[in-house]
Amino acid sequence: MQTGTIHNRDKFLQTIADRLGRKQRTERVPRPHWRHQPQWTVFQGYSQDELLEALKAQCPRIHTQCVETTSAELKETLKEVVANHGGGPVVTWDDPRFAEYGLTHLLRDEWPKENTDVHIWDASAGRKNIDFADKANVGITFSDITLAESGTVVLFSGNGKGRTVSFLPKTYIAIVAKSTIVPRMTQAAAYIHEQIEKGHLVPSCINFITGPSNSADIEMNLVVGVHGPMKATYIVVVDR
Amino acid sequence: MKVSLFVTCLVDLFHTNVGKATVELLERLGCEIDFPEAQTCCGQPAYNSGYVKEAKEAMKHMIRTFEHADYVVTPSGSCATMFKEYPHIFQGDREWEPKAKALADKTYELTQFIVDVLKIEDVGASLQGRATYHTSCHMTRLLGVKEAPFKLLKHVKGLEIVPLPNAHQCCGFGGTFSVKMGPISEQMVDEKIEHIEEIHADYLIGADCGCLMNIGGRIKRQGKPIKVMHIAEVLNSR
Amino acid sequence: MPMKIGNANFHERVETNLHNTFMRGAVAGAQERLHTRRLEAAKELGNWEEWRALGEEIRQHTLENLDYYLMQLSENVAKRGGHVFFAQTAEEANNYIRDVVIRKKAKKIVKSKSMVTEEINLNAVLEAAGCEVIETDLGEYILQIDDHDPPSHIVAPALHKNKEQIRDVFREKLGYKQTEKPEELALHARKTLRREYLTADIGITGCNFAIAESGSITLVTNEGNADLVTALPKTQITVMGMERIVPTFEEMEVLVSLLTRSAVGQKLTSYITVLTGPRDEGDVDGPEEFHLVIVDNGRSNILGTEFQPVLQCIRCAACVNVCPVYRHIGGHSYGSIYSGPIGAVLSPLLGGYDDYKELPYASSLCAACTEACPVKIPLHELLLKHRQVIVEREGKAPISEKLAMKAFGLGAASSFFYKFGSKVAPSALAPFTNDDRISKGPGPLKAWTEIREFPAPNKERFRDWFREHQKGGGK
Repeated sequence: MQTGTIHNRDKFLQTIADRLGRKQRTERVPRPHWRHQPQWTVFQGYSQDELLEALKAQCPRIHTQCVETTSAELKETLKEVVANHGGGPVVTWDDPRFAEYGLTHLLRDEWPKENTDVHIWDASAGRKNIDFADKANVGITFSDITLAESGTVVLFSGNGKGRTVSFLPKTYIAIVAKSTIVPRMTQAAAYIHEQIEKGHLVPSCINFITGPSNSADIEMNLVVGVHGPMKATYIVVVDR
Repeated sequence: MKVSLFVTCLVDLFHTNVGKATVELLERLGCEIDFPEAQTCCGQPAYNSGYVKEAKEAMKHMIRTFEHADYVVTPSGSCATMFKEYPHIFQGDREWEPKAKALADKTYELTQFIVDVLKIEDVGASLQGRATYHTSCHMTRLLGVKEAPFKLLKHVKGLEIVPLPNAHQCCGFGGTFSVKMGPISEQMVDEKIEHIEEIHADYLIGADCGCLMNIGGRIKRQGKPIKVMHIAEVLNSR
Repeated sequence: MPMKIGNANFHERVETNLHNTFMRGAVAGAQERLHTRRLEAAKELGNWEEWRALGEEIRQHTLENLDYYLMQLSENVAKRGGHVFFAQTAEEANNYIRDVVIRKKAKKIVKSKSMVTEEINLNAVLEAAGCEVIETDLGEYILQIDDHDPPSHIVAPALHKNKEQIRDVFREKLGYKQTEKPEELALHARKTLRREYLTADIGITGCNFAIAESGSITLVTNEGNADLVTALPKTQITVMGMERIVPTFEEMEVLVSLLTRSAVGQKLTSYITVLTGPRDEGDVDGPEEFHLVIVDNGRSNILGTEFQPVLQCIRCAACVNVCPVYRHIGGHSYGSIYSGPIGAVLSPLLGGYDDYKELPYASSLCAACTEACPVKIPLHELLLKHRQVIVEREGKAPISEKLAMKAFGLGAASSFFYKFGSKVAPSALAPFTNDDRISKGPGPLKAWTEIREFPAPNKERFRDWFREHQKGGGK
């Protein structure tokens, strides 16, 4: 990775230090222990079952369908959900979890045989991926972390996990392992912060997606489905 | 219990009845009233317009006037709030900051005093009618006195208290705002009156003469039959 | 457009806008809805005051160490291959961005919502350089195609427009043939803008929160437009006000929670995206080149002064949504893209008192804004501070007022003058008194009596009554 450039920093920061009436701070400033920490009390002590119930309760409030299934039933559930949304074309991440969860056959054989076009993100095919996603009816990804309080899926995009799979198609489907559900964004942020402290690089794009896109810009009437997807479904796999 | 009355310039000049009601009420509740004649004004008109120097002269005078008092009680939420601001305004002043703090610590708005200090909620008042209560901004948000007026009004025999819609919205007084920004203030007070009419209240009750003069003055101009009363007058009704 | 809107003076603007019945209905309706939603969101959390206290702590600590965090941020952006430009002035920011645009031979630019880019008037600069600039936030898009109508609210910029007006603009400018139903209008915008995203050369965004520990920027939307602006074009330019920064992901999530609940009563908006540098090796979407432009434009002048707390702002507009003055006069009356209480405090600081000296007085100091602010900016106190500055340092108060206040100072500081004044007041005002009231008052009473009755001074002053009362032994 080539380092980027920085322009005009010295005078800019010196001005700030001058205005604050002290020397410029360049030594590590320790992060304070915040006196108030209410964010940790939300859903404190909840079991995975309770977190799942909370997630399910939140979904209707964010215009999102929530479907529960098991590993054994996942393939059939996914077929049904996609069919209910109007079928293909389907675009998905290139993600090892599709194989782990037994979905490879569906993506590569069953659906194409039924004339449902499937495109698995292919890093070597460049812009063609985006063109396909733009015309797709359904985009499918896994959820890396799932937030119960807000009904949010967290996606660490990158490489085979294209950003636009969850944005361009008309419908977005997230496959959620029950074990990925945490109380709220606090836990996700703590995890990411920990990774950074350990020296790991964050992906260039992390999405926190809560249901389909919407806007209330026209007379404050909520319209669901503006630039991003118009519909969203979370499929929760309860034994993963 | 000896109570020093800070009657406020608005009551002193324009609403003698409110002062009378306050005195009679507190005496009936067992207080001995001291009225330091030297009192003038808390300083808000100048202070809130940005005239700190001029306001401070008035404030020092008030601090001196009430230096001897045990309790300072006032029938005005905004004037009580102003007294509570004094220590902040005199911050850093070695002579006046402690004196300001001493005054602020012993100052109470009337309903706050009756409920929190005298520990009385039923003052034995009675008034027939359907009324609503105006929660004035400074008293509610800055002084933090939200429950006391309602606790007292609940026990007034014959009085039906109806909640005022959009009660959190300012009536448009704001001191000099009401004259400097007349057209805006007019819209605010008109909306306030619409809400009072919406619930068919006969009485509008409040704890701040500034607000009541604003709303009451507009009601009178519009010729509407809503009666405007200060809470001291209501609590003194028998 | 720049921060300043139009050239009419404050009172003229207010007069015009008070007659805009639709706008006032729209604003009042929006306030009701957003106020209720914010209160519900706060109640659901349960300990809202603790959240506010934490928000204040985070923002205050960050401002106190702003130079350190900006240093860390820039280092981390550069490490990830992004370019950072520190812009002291609007001109510097615009010049840098225009240079990038020219170097990239860009013709089409898509933008997500950014107040700071409006403040520096970026769109006009890019258009003058021959670019087509397209706003993708639905509200901003509507305003843009309506001949650059200025925004009237920080979060819902097209609040003042009704759906019929929007339909007519779409018909005139976009060849739209359908009805004023919001779903149809939004669908048309979706189709039109989807083409633009896919063919744009550059994407420009604002920044809700930059994260110092990783060199990241956070974008908060419901529409998903910022995601498309940053995923599809080859170059991304992000512009941020220099104070819009947090130390780590952990503070970002707290402030995002405060923002979404305070602004629109949502736990989280539909899309919160954290972007770090240009795309990674092997990515297909995302920009190949990333620029972060950090803007001062007068903010550093606020540091180290009693107005520093205003920089804590996270641009949620909770204060705007509770302000009883904004409710009636609407955003355009402020003459600035920053309206409502935050606008009344910030605009004079960034734009000077000459253009904005009325704003601090357009407030009854009801303190609803202070109560609503999720990061505890003492907004009404700062408005009062402006008044003090205007009177004492700027000397801009009218002479008649200064004289009146001097008289007040005399009268209220001396019980002699006060008692004298109160004694003669009834007779002095007798010519204007009818029964117990004054309907057409002289001097200072004139403005009052234009719309209200004023009580006549009591002939029996309270103090006179009390003296008799005491003599009578308390009854």
